[in-house]
Amino acid sequence: MVKRGGGGLVRGLGPYLLLSAALIAAYLHLTPVRTVMHSAAVIGIPIHFLASLPSTVLNAMQGHLTTADQLRKEFEAIRQRNLILQTRLHRFEFLENENARLRTLLSATPSEAEQVTLAALLAVNPDPSALTVLIDKGSADGVFQGQPVVDSGGLIGQVTKPGLFRSKVSLITQEDQAVPAQVARSGLRAVTYGGGPNRPLRVLYLDRNADIRAGDLLVTSGLGGRYPPGYPVARITGVERNLAEAFMTIAAEPASHLGRDREVLLLWLPDEDTSSHEKEIEIQADDD
Amino acid sequence: MISVSTTQRRTWIPFATVFLAMVLLVIPAPELIRGFLPDWVSLVLIYWALALPTRMKVSLAWVAGLAVDLLTLGIPGAHALSKAVLVYLVKILALRVRAYPLWQQSVVVMLLLGLEVLVFAIVDIVTEGGLGVLHRWTAVIVGGLAWPLIYLVLRRSRHLANLSR
Repeated sequence: MVKRGGGGLVRGLGPYLLLSAALIAAYLHLTPVRTVMHSAAVIGIPIHFLASLPSTVLNAMQGHLTTADQLRKEFEAIRQRNLILQTRLHRFEFLENENARLRTLLSATPSEAEQVTLAALLAVNPDPSALTVLIDKGSADGVFQGQPVVDSGGLIGQVTKPGLFRSKVSLITQEDQAVPAQVARSGLRAVTYGGGPNRPLRVLYLDRNADIRAGDLLVTSGLGGRYPPGYPVARITGVERNLAEAFMTIAAEPASHLGRDREVLLLWLPDEDTSSHEKEIEIQADDD
Repeated sequence: MISVSTTQRRTWIPFATVFLAMVLLVIPAPELIRGFLPDWVSLVLIYWALALPTRMKVSLAWVAGLAVDLLTLGIPGAHALSKAVLVYLVKILALRVRAYPLWQQSVVVMLLLGLEVLVFAIVDIVTEGGLGVLHRWTAVIVGGLAWPLIYLVLRRSRHLANLSR
């Protein structure tokens, strides 16, 4: 029965152990290897295509099977929504003009609009603890490391691995992700931290008497220069003031439709000179 | 090897099943069930190593693992390493495990998948210094429970392929 001794293990498995270890080490420490590996991910394109077929076909069938009546209803709903959004947009334009005028009065740099590109969600990582998603745009489309990604609800996360034609996006719910934010109502600055899989976001190090309560919307503050200001990040779900501790325990849920939307937006920040202004603020914020 | 079968061998079928497993692996699943989905590629590789221990090569498993790494933009080498270890062990144990009833095979499969999680844990510790893999345990158990199904489906495909040893 026993055919292999210790030599069998060394010969049978040893080369692969060494090869894997070398690959992991090279990937971690050599940038060119990293780039090559990310480009090699193109072999996944047919597989991702096949994997997305069921939902594509289902969507197409749904389009064919909806009746005229349903379509009319849907159209009506969208028209109404469009009307409401239009009205809001007028107000928004007015506010934007006012904001620009006030900014010139203050001689501050005007805030520029970001450029966006639509990307489709390809796959959710099979490992639920990873909290990453794949999108169908890569460095060939100008995607870069650290690029912010949003959807119709708000901030999703940032690009952590730009491949050639697809990229990996780390969600803000990941435990090592932090987002500089502020409370939309009061302007209070805070940082949200990911809580991990199926756990709420955490807002740490806020004073016991800080002005924050359940239902508050957190938007990106723009500090740190990674995320542009003003995008919804999370809604506060629970605030717990514990007299024994210096800081509050605050839970929040992401504002974005993580994993529900099939489409996401990639943001390109306006040029560096506007963010330098924000970096100054950040340095000041770091001091106190 | 003396081959007496008159019908043609279809060696592409095992490769096709591994490919299908990779497709299954990246299908976007609802968050609720994602944590319970086993690593289909591991299960399929285990089957072929069990059924054809002499033909299944550790190198093939390594390449399949590397493909999974590239597919999920993970750390290249992690899945390659774990799959190579898995197939190496199954090749050694194949003759014994094949004689087990299906439910006992399920237990062995669970142990093997658990070992894979350990390999991932080691890679995680080396690369990031953190343990993010503890959520995979449910998938290990589901993988073991799914084994009889995988076994029956793949045995059918093996008969189709005319591969008996």
